[in-house]
Amino acid sequence: MAFSVLIVDDSAVMRGFIRRVLTLSGFEVGECLEASNGEEALARLEGHSVDVILTDINMPKMNGEELLRRLETDERLRSVPTVVISTDATKARILKMLSLGADGYMTKPFSPEALREELERVLGARNA
Amino acid sequence: MPEQLQPARPVEEAPEFGPVVIRVAAEVLETMFFEEALPSACEHAWLAQAVSAQLSFEGSHCGEFLLSVPPGTARSIAAGFLGVDPEEMSETQPGEVILELANILCGALMSTLWPESNLSLGTPELVSAEHSFPAAMHCCFSLPEGMVAVSIALGSRDAA
Repeated sequence: MAFSVLIVDDSAVMRGFIRRVLTLSGFEVGECLEASNGEEALARLEGHSVDVILTDINMPKMNGEELLRRLETDERLRSVPTVVISTDATKARILKMLSLGADGYMTKPFSPEALREELERVLGARNA
Repeated sequence: MPEQLQPARPVEEAPEFGPVVIRVAAEVLETMFFEEALPSACEHAWLAQAVSAQLSFEGSHCGEFLLSVPPGTARSIAAGFLGVDPEEMSETQPGEVILELANILCGALMSTLWPESNLSLGTPELVSAEHSFPAAMHCCFSLPEGMVAVSIALGSRDAA
């Protein structure tokens, strides 16, 4: 089964890297959408449904924290698993993002295998 | 360096800086950039032409992080990160990838050097200046395609 993914990051090269490692990891990717901030992500989600959202935290216009808050208040979107990908490895930040509704948290650097494992974990948990 | 920062603390404050940089850089570069980092003696003749990315950090520690690589090495690192031939890249992509590398390496170094710290990283920017942090913690290492230089200058904003 191929999964549709939304990658939210203000860096085009990081979005390209994530898209690439998803393929390298063997994770079956169907449609792969991209957005450069939370606002753009919500606009993308108006016309599409995705299986999982991967989001950065620090982004202009709408950051990852606000995106999680908005997803949690949306009846249709709150059930979509979300994984935060960030350089911030502090416990306080991780706990905050999880409390806002993130299902997983990946700290950079991460390997393709680690990303796949995390995606399988959150998708499995939501579908259990 | 921003005016409000005090002069950097002496290198002795983090005596393990060099080995830590090599270890963390090796992990970052091998995991996400598919490059092998090796210890190397400092050699700075190339810095005048380097592609450099700088970012600030603040919180329990504050200061500046600077990463420099020769232009050819920047293209090679970017090609590995993006999975393309260096010739296929746009003119701006190597710089964009070096900004990402600086961000990831700085975050990984901070959490290794000061695991209990609570730090917030600024947005990395490309700078044309040569390495100029006075008394900064500094380390060079090499990749197959060239050198990489990393510096951290610690300062104290509240002491200004």
